[in-house]
Amino acid sequence: MLKLFLWLRYLRKRRIVFLSITAVALSVSLLMVIASGFTGFIKAYKQIAVDFVGDIVLQPPKKFPNYPVLLDRLEQLGAVEAAEATLSGQGVLYLGKGNVRAVHIQGIDLARAAKVTAFKSSLLRQKDSPEEPSFRTPADPNVVTGFVGIAVVREPDEETDEYDFEAVEEIVGKSVVLTTGSVIEQKESSSPPGETQFRRRTLQFTVADIVFTGFYQVDKNYIFLPIERLQNTLYPEQEPVAELIQIKLSLGADVESARTQIRGVWQEFVDDELGGDRYLKEFVDIETAVEMQSQYVEEIRKQMGLLLLIIGVVSASVVVLVSCIFYMIVTTKRRDIAVIKSCGTASASVCWIFVGFGGCVGIIGSGIGVVLGCIITENVNGIERWISVVSGLKLWKSSVYMFSRIPNEVNWFWVLPIVGSAIAAAAVGALIPAIVAARTKPVEILRYE
Amino acid sequence: MNNVSREAYLVTPLHASRFTLMYKLILATRYLLKRRITYFAVLAVALCVFIVVVVMTVMAGLVGDFKQKNHDFTGDCVVGSESLVGFPYYEDYVDMLEASEFVEGVSEVIRSYGLLSPQGRDLTRGVEIMGLDPARHSRATGFGDTLHHRRDDAAKAFVPSYDPNLPGCVLGIDLALQRDSNSRYAYDSSPSRIGFSISCFPLTARGALAGAGTALANTKTFYYSDHSHSGLARVDDSIIYLPFDEAQALCGMSGQTKRINAIHIKFKPDVKLKTGCEEARRLWSIFKSEKANESQAYLLNTVTVQDWKLYGRALIAAMEKEQMIMGVMFGFVGIVTVFIVLVVFYMLISHKSKDIGVLRSIGVSGFDIVELFGGFALAVGLAGSCLGVLGGWQFLLRINSIERWLFEHFEFQVWDRTMFAIGDIPSEISPRVLAVIVFSAIAACLIGALVPSWQAARLKPVETLQVNQL
Repeated sequence: MLKLFLWLRYLRKRRIVFLSITAVALSVSLLMVIASGFTGFIKAYKQIAVDFVGDIVLQPPKKFPNYPVLLDRLEQLGAVEAAEATLSGQGVLYLGKGNVRAVHIQGIDLARAAKVTAFKSSLLRQKDSPEEPSFRTPADPNVVTGFVGIAVVREPDEETDEYDFEAVEEIVGKSVVLTTGSVIEQKESSSPPGETQFRRRTLQFTVADIVFTGFYQVDKNYIFLPIERLQNTLYPEQEPVAELIQIKLSLGADVESARTQIRGVWQEFVDDELGGDRYLKEFVDIETAVEMQSQYVEEIRKQMGLLLLIIGVVSASVVVLVSCIFYMIVTTKRRDIAVIKSCGTASASVCWIFVGFGGCVGIIGSGIGVVLGCIITENVNGIERWISVVSGLKLWKSSVYMFSRIPNEVNWFWVLPIVGSAIAAAAVGALIPAIVAARTKPVEILRYE
Repeated sequence: MNNVSREAYLVTPLHASRFTLMYKLILATRYLLKRRITYFAVLAVALCVFIVVVVMTVMAGLVGDFKQKNHDFTGDCVVGSESLVGFPYYEDYVDMLEASEFVEGVSEVIRSYGLLSPQGRDLTRGVEIMGLDPARHSRATGFGDTLHHRRDDAAKAFVPSYDPNLPGCVLGIDLALQRDSNSRYAYDSSPSRIGFSISCFPLTARGALAGAGTALANTKTFYYSDHSHSGLARVDDSIIYLPFDEAQALCGMSGQTKRINAIHIKFKPDVKLKTGCEEARRLWSIFKSEKANESQAYLLNTVTVQDWKLYGRALIAAMEKEQMIMGVMFGFVGIVTVFIVLVVFYMLISHKSKDIGVLRSIGVSGFDIVELFGGFALAVGLAGSCLGVLGGWQFLLRINSIERWLFEHFEFQVWDRTMFAIGDIPSEISPRVLAVIVFSAIAACLIGALVPSWQAARLKPVETLQVNQL
């Protein structure tokens, strides 16, 4: 009771304590915003990987035929909900007068892709349609069509970083020309055996929809074509081939067990359909989408750790601040302390009054810091927009930071250690003054002279 | 009292100012050395300065290095069009530039996108094509210094050493070589004989595909003659350099009226960037009006004259913004240091109220008291800054060896060099950055000391020197 009374009294009467509360709040909110920003970025990065490639990716060392058989077998596994095959290539896309872009071409089976990935939700025109997404255009169902990344068509505005959706959609229904190619073995008798040559292929297609994932690297570089069309273009003389299998796991499926089952199916498939090719069997990579991004994610995590360490070290001066303020309180309140001690209060209890008060300062400061951190984190996009409007300075650009929006989700996992450290720092800061207070001798302080 | 008044009466203004200076110096030094609480303020300032010096030196080094590499890659000024169609009649403008006194080097450049496929490998990838004359481009930019095998003879950059008759190409280093965990490349002693098929779209002056209905794209094989290491990841990973005439033909710009995409210019050393760009712009206006009646003059309207900073603003600005955000974050954390100084001064002044009372009683003004504590704050700021700078400097001297040690023992690197095109961590302290940090630290101390000093100045001797106070 006495402790509570004194804490409240010091809080009310010694306004300098608010400096330490402010300092704690400032440090906590800054660390919280940094941690939430980075972890939000990592989460978004992992999520976009899952949205874009599914839960697990099976990547053999070379292209392989008969993939529909593999897809059927995979989908018979209880752990697998859906699977799709993809084929990719590089090309240059002619969009219109003087407008040529280097692009990454992805051949997909759209019906399967919609089950394995979140592809449908990224299609500007078809995302809200109740029907399954399709490459077909209503005007002519037989025409060759494809989808184009939004930033392939038009870059976001230099100042606002927003896309002009109306202008982008103007390209839908228009014809574009893709130049790509594949490597073929030389057939001429004059050529040495095994020598290969690049053969250029040109494909004209109509843009049926725009892909807007919010992930700049995809939006900027990718175009999507039906896998059969890409196969015919790249390898017209061969049977259909695939390069990659993307798999969506059933809800609640164990990843490790699913991976083992998928590997088993693959080996069986190679034995049955591909003549037991050891190269294909042994050098296949079966990774989760998250594992595929692990190197980059680790790097981001490391940068976050470094930044938190740097800011944390500077914030550690809160200990000094609390120490100074509490020392001042102790020296000016020596008579109070002496009176308390003369009434029989133990030194440890006196020490605890100030350590506890330090802890209170930490708790109040952290509480304010957490509220401030939440407000800043959750409104970070609005704050960024406001800075952009007021100062003309665009801090966040999708072309630099990959995503169209700043991650704005508070990471409570990081809030707990930050708050804990802040309270501990404030208590540690109060420790030396508390010891000084505990060692106060009433007889010296309360002497008449 | 009488004695004091008589002495004060006898003191001349010169004596008075010397006295004022002396007691300010003596008291400030005395407080700094004798009051141990001051050490906390000095240490807080030192810690803050240390961290800021290290982080901002590294950041400023990265940004400065990036800007320099951009400057080397671009030259001083670029006259060009963003459209891949390019612009015609450039020969006359180049003649005008070469005849002028402010230009040291001029290089005409073709830029387009193409498809690269190494012979013998089932691999294709989209690349950016840059067609140039290596000798001229090396005079206008730092291109020659980025070469490996032909660094001493950039004119032969496109001549493969294994067969001078083959058409050569220079690859961005990340297209040609692998990088290890220390960001070192596995350099080849001489270029290997590797052919690359390059396909690209030839465009007409109207922007349409040239030769529509036929092949639509041009393809030619070039042989690896050298690689270029500009130090810019987006350049080294995506650009292939081709001989100017070949690139012009591939892109359909070598017809009757030849076209290019850009002209890179280097100014003479004594010409300022702004002056040079204005002069280039003036010449362009003259040239444009002279060509106004030509058939393809409309293409000249798409051309801009930009200095290298403006030309690379998208990427440079992003890095500068990150540096600024870091500065702002340190500014926020620095507020804690201001608070510490404030509290320390508050404590000091509350303990030294008698000194202040005595000073005030002998005629020292309130302003002098503020000055006294201002001087003391300056001393705290200077001492903290000196300690912080010294610590930061020593740390930066060893930062790369510390990182190497960490990597050897714990496999920890500040940046994974297999992912980032960063060599050593920048450790050269910039005097400008240092000046800003020290100035900010001192300013923080002065701000922190302001309120307590003001309170000290308002103390009344009659209250502080009362017998019951003594």
